[in-house]
Amino acid sequence: MSALEMKHLIGLRNVSAADIRLLLDTSRQFRDILERPVKKVPSLRGLTVVNLFFENSTRTRTSFELAEKRLSADTVNFTTSNSSVQKGESLLDTLRNIEAMKIDLVVVRHRGTGVPQFLADHSNAIVLNAGDGANEHPTQALLDMFTIEQKLGSLRGKRVAIVGDIRHSRVARSNIWGLTTMGAEVTLCGPSTLIPHSPDFFGDVHFESDVRRAVQNADAVITLRLQKERMDDSLLPSMREYRNFFGITHEVLEQAKPSILIMHPGPINRGVELDSEIADGANSVILEQVTNGVAVRMAALYLLSGGRASE
Amino acid sequence: MNNHLVVQNVRPWVDGKFKKPIDLKLENGIWSDFSDSEAETFDAEGAYAIPALFAFGIDFQEPVRDDIYTFEDGFKALRRGGFIGGLYESTANPIDDLQKLSAVTQIVGKSKLDIRLLGAISKDFQGEHLAEMLELSQGGVAGFGDGNRKVGATRFLRLAMEYGSMTGKRFFFLPMDYSLKYKGLVHEGPVSDTLGMKGIPKLAETIAVHKILELALWLKIPVHFKQITCGESLELIARAKERGLDVTCDVGVYHLLFDESHLFGLDSHLNLHPPVRSALDREALWNGISSGLVQAISCNHFPVLPQDKEVNFEDALPGALSLEILLPALWNLLKTRVGAIRAIELLSNNPALLAGARPAALKLNAPADFVLFQPKGETLVTSSVFSGQVHNSPLLGKSLQGRILGSYLKGLWSAV
Repeated sequence: MSALEMKHLIGLRNVSAADIRLLLDTSRQFRDILERPVKKVPSLRGLTVVNLFFENSTRTRTSFELAEKRLSADTVNFTTSNSSVQKGESLLDTLRNIEAMKIDLVVVRHRGTGVPQFLADHSNAIVLNAGDGANEHPTQALLDMFTIEQKLGSLRGKRVAIVGDIRHSRVARSNIWGLTTMGAEVTLCGPSTLIPHSPDFFGDVHFESDVRRAVQNADAVITLRLQKERMDDSLLPSMREYRNFFGITHEVLEQAKPSILIMHPGPINRGVELDSEIADGANSVILEQVTNGVAVRMAALYLLSGGRASE
Repeated sequence: MNNHLVVQNVRPWVDGKFKKPIDLKLENGIWSDFSDSEAETFDAEGAYAIPALFAFGIDFQEPVRDDIYTFEDGFKALRRGGFIGGLYESTANPIDDLQKLSAVTQIVGKSKLDIRLLGAISKDFQGEHLAEMLELSQGGVAGFGDGNRKVGATRFLRLAMEYGSMTGKRFFFLPMDYSLKYKGLVHEGPVSDTLGMKGIPKLAETIAVHKILELALWLKIPVHFKQITCGESLELIARAKERGLDVTCDVGVYHLLFDESHLFGLDSHLNLHPPVRSALDREALWNGISSGLVQAISCNHFPVLPQDKEVNFEDALPGALSLEILLPALWNLLKTRVGAIRAIELLSNNPALLAGARPAALKLNAPADFVLFQPKGETLVTSSVFSGQVHNSPLLGKSLQGRILGSYLKGLWSAV
């Protein structure tokens, strides 16, 4: 087995194509394992993983937990609702206390950008980012890339449209970094109040304000969840107008390739960013993304643990 | 049956000048060349046929105050004043969704004039939630504005302009920092000090202009300033133009005719929003008109009931009518100071283009929409000059040089 250059999975920005390749290839092996009658392997036996979720999460936490259990790791869930954080404990103190319990890996989600990096800098544990603020959500992007490759082959030259609230999306950011590193062509589309302020900083990506043009030549479209609070924040006038101008509907897909993959990180606002019949239709790979998520997280945990289990 | 009209002895504006007197033959709205001894005739006695005007800043207050003024009154005023149409901004009933747009479109469609609509920036002009600007744009609004209200906090303004930038349409602002305006009524200066009236500093305008220009430069979106009142604002606009911004502005008819010195009479008809300013500012506005920095002269036609005007200055509601008298009030002044070509640009071509309408022009075998104006005539401004039951104008009772004889708009001749 080759080794990753990275020590932690904090984000996909500045991650090499070789590391992403290794993660995706390893994910494929774990994906095969998930098809077996017995889906459990002993790869992380003896290791302890803490799922440190400072933000509500059902899907990502469950997916990580399942991945850890299928790798035979011991897992502990730590959520803010039942933790000393509620009593005012600092992040560093929380970490030190958990670390004192001799844990090996930390999976962390936090509303603040940079918290996974902070933990990595101040701990001996291996850190996996399960989403930090609007910064990165690397395993989501990896599972998106894995799903595209699974369906369409190599990412190089594939055209991927990301539609929605790019400005506030960690999913979008990780996908931009990962997809462009792997040679895909990325088009971003959304209302101008939800598009990043410094588009040039994202490198070789295209911006398109018309969703029909954004999907026109795309091989896949990743639709992002629209948060209702965007209306309260005066970033959008209404869900209705958003749906009419940026929602993925049958009319929009008339402009797209018949084979376009429909993707969504979930949970979906049906009838807002994605119409129900599209979400459940033949082009949708949304449930496969969920399955692939477990495989990708198994691969990340496995590769980052780097043989600690056998020590 | 053909709708034939021959306007005899008229001097039409063609190719940048008034032609020598001719008989202008009109058939169903077109300047034609026909022979019809039974055609209706009108002797213009050497009057000008000026391409129909286009009104900036019209608000008839319907439907909230149809006890004051109706759309029908407004349409009559447009015809009497020689306007082919105008840019309508409803302050009483903000056009903030498609349903309202469709309702107002239907009403103004009955006028048979070319009335363009401004969509709202925020819901109910509250400056808190965005109006559905994408749908309004698709529905055909000419641009966006929030009446003469304050456009929310700066953050909201930035988001509104950012969101609206997707439409490519122009934003129209009446620049006013309302926290600086506070309870002010008139220009803050010697006259407000002398009379002890609460003033509105020029800063209230210039700070708002500066803020909007910075946002527009950053977002690269076209903006228009309504009713600029002082030279300092024009300097800011000129600088933004030099920096590459697509920025336009207009000045109000009464701001060209009056200044703060006229307030000593305490005529409540001069209670206007924004206020008339100093004589130097008035001169700066005229200079802006000469230099081309100012694109249009706006009417700011706003009806106010007599009981709300015929009170002491400070208790009067601001606003004035102007459509019916704008041409006699300004034509001779404009012709003397900037020439006829520029006058027609300011009153007809530019405002039409800014509203996305086709400017009126006079050409054989083409649609002819014009106002028949006798510069040597006289207009006595009485209440009967105005349509409807209101007559709020600082020119009420005055005699103006020049007289509108009638208008020919969309094939309909209306003698005044």
